[in-house]
Amino acid sequence: MTTTFMGYPRPDGSAGARNWVLILPVQRNMNLLAASIAKLVEGTKVMLSPGEGGRTTVDRRTIARTMVGLGQNPNVGAILLVAIKPKFGYKELSENYFLDELNKTGKPVRTLVLSELGGYYNALGEGVRLARELALEASRVHRQPCPIAKLTIGVKCGMSDPTSGIVGNPVVGRMFDLLIAGGGTALFSETTEIIGAEHLLVKRAATPEVAAALLEAVRITENKAKSTGEDIRNINPIPSNIAAGLTTLEEKSLGAIAKSGTTPIRGVLAYGERPAGQGLYFMDAWMSSLSLPLCFAAAGAQIVLYQMGGGDLPDPCPPMPAATSGIISPLMYITGNRHTFAKAGDSMDFDSSRALGGGFTVREIGDEFLGHIIDVASGTRTRMETLRHEDPVELYFEGPSL
Amino acid sequence: MTQNAMKLNGRDNVAMALDLLAAGTEALVLCEDGTRAGVVLTEEIPFGFKLATRDITAGEPILKYGEVIGVASRDIKAGSVVHVHNVDGTRARGDLN
Repeated sequence: MTTTFMGYPRPDGSAGARNWVLILPVQRNMNLLAASIAKLVEGTKVMLSPGEGGRTTVDRRTIARTMVGLGQNPNVGAILLVAIKPKFGYKELSENYFLDELNKTGKPVRTLVLSELGGYYNALGEGVRLARELALEASRVHRQPCPIAKLTIGVKCGMSDPTSGIVGNPVVGRMFDLLIAGGGTALFSETTEIIGAEHLLVKRAATPEVAAALLEAVRITENKAKSTGEDIRNINPIPSNIAAGLTTLEEKSLGAIAKSGTTPIRGVLAYGERPAGQGLYFMDAWMSSLSLPLCFAAAGAQIVLYQMGGGDLPDPCPPMPAATSGIISPLMYITGNRHTFAKAGDSMDFDSSRALGGGFTVREIGDEFLGHIIDVASGTRTRMETLRHEDPVELYFEGPSL
Repeated sequence: MTQNAMKLNGRDNVAMALDLLAAGTEALVLCEDGTRAGVVLTEEIPFGFKLATRDITAGEPILKYGEVIGVASRDIKAGSVVHVHNVDGTRARGDLN
């Protein structure tokens, strides 16, 4: 089996699957300027600031960690920071913090400060000039063979159905086991969707501290669910899970954890937090398609998997609702439901349903899947990457918003 | 005849339909140990849905993957659909506080 991919080498030793120039507004009021620059310069992506006003310190740190994390992601070759003026606003969202953290990557970073350029129109011109320079500089880095140990892959399971737990997720889990055996890193998440299965995950915790952190994440999330006064079944499983045959949150969770494979869980990460080492990590985050790809990308994932059940999809199915909300990390769709693949093959990058009644084992399909991951890491586009659309993103805030 | 339903664990009292199964037919359930067992269906079972492999009494745990996925909210006859109309979850229930 191939154990290398063709990646963009970065000064910090990491390797990108893509090679973007990232335009980062340091504060929300720089979104217009950042977006305007990105529209005019080829090879750029922009992460609009979600708005820091009235957020708690914890949540402002989440914004900063997410924005900086995207810049640190190996898929980014260069960064342009866009700030309004020095020492403006909350200190967590200052250009100095962004600059200090991003300079540690060794990648080219430029800063555009509106107050030093005589306002928006002059700053726009200077921003375009800087971004074009960065686009040229980034393009001088060429792909070279890199070990899969440099890959970080995140997985979300979406529109789960009964195939997810027995085929789709286990195939991802097998691929994760192989990736981790090769020295790579894997991320799974969706705290609500481990409720009822946490006793199985805890057995795989690498240390007692990790076990305690997993149980604490479940305790906090379950208490939040209870505080709504609702039967969780009004919220999660979502209606399309139930329509396809999933009955309770516990059933969904027991199928969902199969995507984590069988290796030890090395740590529990906050939203967008970068793992400290290699191996398997759990991120304590929200299951939304608009939120989870983003925090995986911020934590360093070069590719985000969307493991689709999809039993409730119409036939034929339009393109999937969630398009690359990981901003700089491609979203790759797979399914273990043969009906979903038939209905929505136009959106699917990989069909794992052959492991259910197709004469193949989960192990065989998982091995094959790693080959597809390596292709995408080496530059093959995912189907979502052929669409010029990115969904809005929603960070996961602990709140309250004040 | 090939199996058209699958039981994931020896402890389970439900199996998953691998196709749309018609009412009145006998489902052939592939068990985790490779054996097969027949269950006559009292109603249609859609693809992916669960069928009871034996009679289940109200209050009994429903087992899939060898784990508890909920509790029967009423008696369930062997060969019937096992879903939200006859199973309740037990976790994260704000309505029970």
